[in-house]
Amino acid sequence: MAEILQYIPGDGIFHRLHPVTKILFIIIVSVVTILTSSIPLLAGLLLLIFLLAFAGHLLRPVIQQMILILLMSIVIYLITILTVQDGAVIGYLVPSFIPLIGGSIPITVGALTVGTVLTLRFAILISAFQLFVISTQPRDLVHTMERARVPVDYTLMFIIALRFIPTLQIEGKRIHEAQLARGYHPGDGFMGRIRSVAPVMVPLVSNSLSRATLLGLTIDLRGYRTRARTRLRERTFGIADKVAIPLMCLAGVAFLYGFLTSSLL
Amino acid sequence: MITLENVSYAYPRADREAVSEITLTLKGGECVLVTGHSGSGKTTLCLAAAGILEHEYGGKKSGRVTVDGKDVREYHDLTDISTRVGILFDDPDSQLLFTTVEEEVLSAIERRGFSVAEVEERLAQVLAVTGLEELKDRPPHALSGGQKQRVVLATTLALGTDILILDEPTSELDEQGTESIVRLLEEFKAQGKAILIVEQKFTKLASLVDRIVVLENGRIRNEGPPATVLQDEIARRTLIPDFSGIRTRSPAVNGSVPMVCTRGLTFSYGEEEALSGVDLSIAQGEFVAIVGENGSGKTTLVKHFIGLLRPGKGTVTVDGKDAAKAPIAELAHSVGLVFQNPDHMFFADSVFDEVAFGVDNLGIPGREQAVMDALATVRLTAARDLYPRWLSRGERQRLAIACVLAMQPAVLILDEPTTGLDGSESREILEILKQLQEKGHTIIMITHSREIAGQCADRVIHMEAGRIADDVRAEAAHG
Repeated sequence: MAEILQYIPGDGIFHRLHPVTKILFIIIVSVVTILTSSIPLLAGLLLLIFLLAFAGHLLRPVIQQMILILLMSIVIYLITILTVQDGAVIGYLVPSFIPLIGGSIPITVGALTVGTVLTLRFAILISAFQLFVISTQPRDLVHTMERARVPVDYTLMFIIALRFIPTLQIEGKRIHEAQLARGYHPGDGFMGRIRSVAPVMVPLVSNSLSRATLLGLTIDLRGYRTRARTRLRERTFGIADKVAIPLMCLAGVAFLYGFLTSSLL
Repeated sequence: MITLENVSYAYPRADREAVSEITLTLKGGECVLVTGHSGSGKTTLCLAAAGILEHEYGGKKSGRVTVDGKDVREYHDLTDISTRVGILFDDPDSQLLFTTVEEEVLSAIERRGFSVAEVEERLAQVLAVTGLEELKDRPPHALSGGQKQRVVLATTLALGTDILILDEPTSELDEQGTESIVRLLEEFKAQGKAILIVEQKFTKLASLVDRIVVLENGRIRNEGPPATVLQDEIARRTLIPDFSGIRTRSPAVNGSVPMVCTRGLTFSYGEEEALSGVDLSIAQGEFVAIVGENGSGKTTLVKHFIGLLRPGKGTVTVDGKDAAKAPIAELAHSVGLVFQNPDHMFFADSVFDEVAFGVDNLGIPGREQAVMDALATVRLTAARDLYPRWLSRGERQRLAIACVLAMQPAVLILDEPTTGLDGSESREILEILKQLQEKGHTIIMITHSREIAGQCADRVIHMEAGRIADDVRAEAAHG
């Protein structure tokens, strides 16, 4: 089973970067992505992320994730076509040769543009975040956040949420199999599907809740409430970090300048 | 090292005490084994002895617990106690937080004020003694159950505390794995450490244990050196599983009717071949045990019998149906599969509804009767209105069997049905299985235990690396 958002050991460029550099990367990429609606700029950013993933030997998981984004983009395009009516009409969602209802729901250029922008934004944000998570050891992240004075509870919440994704995947599959063996069949129709969720979700949630107590005890027993930590195998800023940080800052400032002046004008 | 004086405790909202009037002393260089039926209070006793109940749980407490001569209430918090006591809980998955084995072990020792060199040395040492060096870069959650237990043990040992409280540290390990843990604990004992261990496998731990505590309904039933405790008949049956008399002359085995038949069955998970060319024929009414190491293909094989997996190559026929193509719901009329962890199936509000789920799915006539018959077979008639998750592990295991049994399958498959159960609970399960065989069911049981396989089944199939390495009729093997 493909594992979602799990650390992949490796020695690529992304693995060697300091977590701070990677967090800065995510922040700058996110800000640019949210502010701009220029399709060439967004496409360029996505290409940049792919290039970075390729250089860091992480292209495959990033591409795999794209399948999910493609599925999501269909929904996005549908919503924008239904809600945005702007610019030239280039076709109809219901083809005109169908009698009576043919030719309804026009597809406009504006809708496609908005759909493309939104899809690119999702693709960039998700893959940048994914690239960060799969190349950063949770331990390094805890240390970095601790240094930034972020309470350890928040960091642990974050890494535990990620860590239990595969466990829930595996457990969900096992529960599903156990219920299939009892002749369970996902119901028909919408309501049937809703009702049929219980045999899988109830055991999954109950088992996870009973696990939470032990998990909390484990964290306390390992001394996570104390700040005194032996500083071993600390991540230090390497040459790549020293080059990347000023470059990213420059690019960010340049973008902001361009954005502000163009929107002020 | 640890003393409990008259300790009683009831969980919040519970109507009875989980442990009552426990008085117990654990000295340095001593190993005390705590055992008893599931739900008898073993885990609660561990939590009490480690001071965890005092610090983290509500509920009604009385009595006094000391660790290293100091009342547990005087310790600041769990982190403070954890510098004296290493504790391992029974569910390894809840104790694995990180994405590599090495990080996991480091997380237990990097907040203890050790120097860098000291941390590195402890890390290397503990990885070596627990045999985890080769796995140090692997993600713990993707390891096998036994390997996960070793990782959790490593995090517990890494601190080097003089007191160890271990709740079922070897339940998922095969015999070889268990032996290596026992040798390790023997060394610790010789160094003067105190060990409180909850386990069901007394026979495997005999060389380690100085005293035994048998719990019954939260109270100490027996306490003393093994020789004394074993004189008590009931304690002996709990500690040393006795399966004599379960195998009788095979009844009504109809050799001419193969119930399950595979030819050249091959299956791969991705590129990894899990089954290669398995030829097997199981007759109607046979009681078959499948044994083998973790990962030898036992579960993969039986999942083919009910269509949860479909063969890559070869054929599978079950009760005359082509199991490579027939829908699972159709195969479920012929085959019932009881998974290893009963908690993977329970979702209903009552025991009755839980059993009725399968009956309704298959549309079996005489619903009420079918459910009550199944509950009677597993001796749970009185529990019909209880909430399934409130039952003890042994009762939940029997309920899981009832859920499948009520669907009236000709073939009953059980994956490790005695995990976490003591000797007498295990025997109870096997007696039920025997009874079902006598009624004409075909029984296929996966087990780690060679004793159970050898003493109960008519036939033992030994799997190795996806193949059948050995297939022995019990009469021939054991006279």
